[in-house]
Amino acid sequence: MNVPTEAIRITNLVKKYGAVTAVENLSLTVPSGIMFGFLGPNGSGKSTTIGCLTGLLDPTSGQIEVLGERFDANSAGLKRRMGVMPETLGLFEPLRAHEFLAFVGRMYGLDEATTRKRVTELLDALELTDSSKVLGEYSTGMRKRVAFAAAVIHSPEVLFLDEPFESIDPAGVALMKQWLHRFTEQGRTVFMTSHVLETVERLCQEVAIIAVPGKLVWQGDITTFGREGAIVFDGQEYDALEPLFLRLTGERRVDLNWL
Amino acid sequence: MNLQLIGQLIRLRYQLLWARTRTRNGKIAWFIAGYLLLIMAIMLLALGGLGAGMAAVRMGKAERLAQGLLTALFSSALISSVMLGFGINAAFSDVELRRYPLRERERRFARHFTGAADPFWFLFVALELGLATGLYLLGASYLPMGILAVLLLYVCNYLAAQVVSLLMDRIQRQKGGSIVLPILIMALCFLPSLLMPKLAKNPALAGQAAAALRYTPSFGAGSLMTRTDAGALHGLALLLLWIVGLAVALSALERMPPRRPVAKSTRIRWDSPFDRVSALFGREHGILVAHWLRFYFRARRFRVQYGLSLPLLPFLLLIWTRQVTRHGDPFSAAVGVFAVSGITAGAAFVVNQFGYVGGGFRRYFLFPCDPGAVLRSSSVALLAACAPYPLLATLTWLLFAPVPFDARGLALLLASAAFGMFFFHGLGLWTTLYGPRRCDPNQTMGNDLSLAGNIALIGTMLVFLMGPMMVGQFHKGILTPERWWVVMALAALAVCLYLFSLRRAGAIVVARRERLLAVVEGKA
Repeated sequence: MNVPTEAIRITNLVKKYGAVTAVENLSLTVPSGIMFGFLGPNGSGKSTTIGCLTGLLDPTSGQIEVLGERFDANSAGLKRRMGVMPETLGLFEPLRAHEFLAFVGRMYGLDEATTRKRVTELLDALELTDSSKVLGEYSTGMRKRVAFAAAVIHSPEVLFLDEPFESIDPAGVALMKQWLHRFTEQGRTVFMTSHVLETVERLCQEVAIIAVPGKLVWQGDITTFGREGAIVFDGQEYDALEPLFLRLTGERRVDLNWL
Repeated sequence: MNLQLIGQLIRLRYQLLWARTRTRNGKIAWFIAGYLLLIMAIMLLALGGLGAGMAAVRMGKAERLAQGLLTALFSSALISSVMLGFGINAAFSDVELRRYPLRERERRFARHFTGAADPFWFLFVALELGLATGLYLLGASYLPMGILAVLLLYVCNYLAAQVVSLLMDRIQRQKGGSIVLPILIMALCFLPSLLMPKLAKNPALAGQAAAALRYTPSFGAGSLMTRTDAGALHGLALLLLWIVGLAVALSALERMPPRRPVAKSTRIRWDSPFDRVSALFGREHGILVAHWLRFYFRARRFRVQYGLSLPLLPFLLLIWTRQVTRHGDPFSAAVGVFAVSGITAGAAFVVNQFGYVGGGFRRYFLFPCDPGAVLRSSSVALLAACAPYPLLATLTWLLFAPVPFDARGLALLLASAAFGMFFFHGLGLWTTLYGPRRCDPNQTMGNDLSLAGNIALIGTMLVFLMGPMMVGQFHKGILTPERWWVVMALAALAVCLYLFSLRRAGAIVVARRERLLAVVEGKA
């Protein structure tokens, strides 16, 4: 794949909450036009990093560049070019799906006619056309679809997806994957976190793995699994992402006699 | 009956209560509540109980006095519980309890036992026990019977609170319930004020009313507490009958599934009045104002508050001004009512504008806009939503004013409304930033604001309602139509305060966003 520039560059990112360090000196680069998997065990600082990358949190120190420009919480111009599907989905529960999406579209600067057209098409494609319910009454999978639609409605250049596929049915996941492939084919970038390593292995071209507290332990091209059958790390061959991930993040084996 | 597990659940309930006190707000609230409770308990146990007992024994009316005091305590507990949500908010719902190995009967028992074991009820039990002890020490009561009366009244009070709140919930879920319920509440609240003058004029009617009260649980408890003859038995039977009746009603209401609203059309409708109204605020702000208006008017809590203000203001204006006519100046009282007229409709939302948003709150920081604009537009939307109420108060005043019409007086009243509205909405911006609390937008009753929010809301209401009357009482001639410009100047100051707050708050939203996110998303 032709990778012209870097979509994201993080340099020495540190995020502390009082005495607790959530992200420690994280540096990584994400090339444009790929699907990038950002992996790590629970509490390793993935969501904190995404929070810093999307302007929700202020880094304690370090620098973030998105699409070649310095990014901070006030970078309105860059935010317009970014789409975010937060871990908590960020829905307004008393609103209906079309009202929520229309609001999001308008906030990202789409005109009224384009917003309505895109909302209708998105709801139709994601099978969310029943407007009798408010978002608070939707199932988890339906809520996730709405959050995904909100992330893509303004055709962003960089898409941040925090655990995008959990709770969505196979048909929905297949459709989203198809959209994401087309998205990256157009030179746009997807930065996603997931605990489903098989999905990441099938979808992403590159992966970064962090360990507690937000320390980068590995970054590399995982298309090698398909091309060469295995990745060599520390003199050992790994034929899939899962064993590599477990090795890097410290696999624990605990036997409980009563279980 | 799995009593061990139920005991563990009650323990967990208290652990959760204790955990809430770990926050800074919680600690302050805990300290103040504890301090007030201690003083109240000491005063009431020592003075209330003993004093009431002494007075009752001396007058030879121990039973009547006990009945009166118990009725007051019973009603206070019922109103506080139903309206403010104390003591009835189930710590564990039936769905939550299903994960434990409990049968249906045990789940119900666990739910009500954890509800009845709420510290709120213990305050009232302590007060009632104080009365029983006072009466006993003065020889007007047999202590074991007094304690029995208190315990039975406590059960009755808890069951009554549950029945009333469930009934209100069911009414509210009916079509048009959001309008019917506030009107019912208002009618009940103002009934005593309307009836009292009639009862005072007609002693026979008062006698009939008192006779009807004989069948209430608190009158039964009063008899059981103070009598040793057949009257005590009558009181005991009455209390037991009430308990059985309320338990049956509660059981029936719990079995009755709440009605789920069914939407008529599933077609997407694009045009809404919110968009049309907010178009007045320009493109960027218009989108946000429309969003906030839609959000607020979709929230059940806001709709109930908004609807409740509709009968509240005219009632307040009419009754408040007429009642003070005997003691003071009705115009001063009207100044106070006008000052709150632009507040009551959405007060809880004004002091906690982000608290009801929930998970959607983080969107505001992801959008390519100034997050300060989000708070500004929320405030403007609330101001716009509250604005019709001073007009309603004006209309009521023009039609029913107990004083002759004076254009300067009307200007003063409108200035008072503007002062109240801008001052409170300005204050609300600060409490939104420094005293936020995660709240449920669909919970219609109960008090879920932070300490700062409560102080701002209750404090402002009391000062606005009482302040002008006190000023009128002690400095006659200040709040008169001739001095209309005094309040006009205050209104201008309030507008300045609001505009300053609006401007300053925008920058603070960005600086405090991590803290706000943690609170609104329930992580702090």
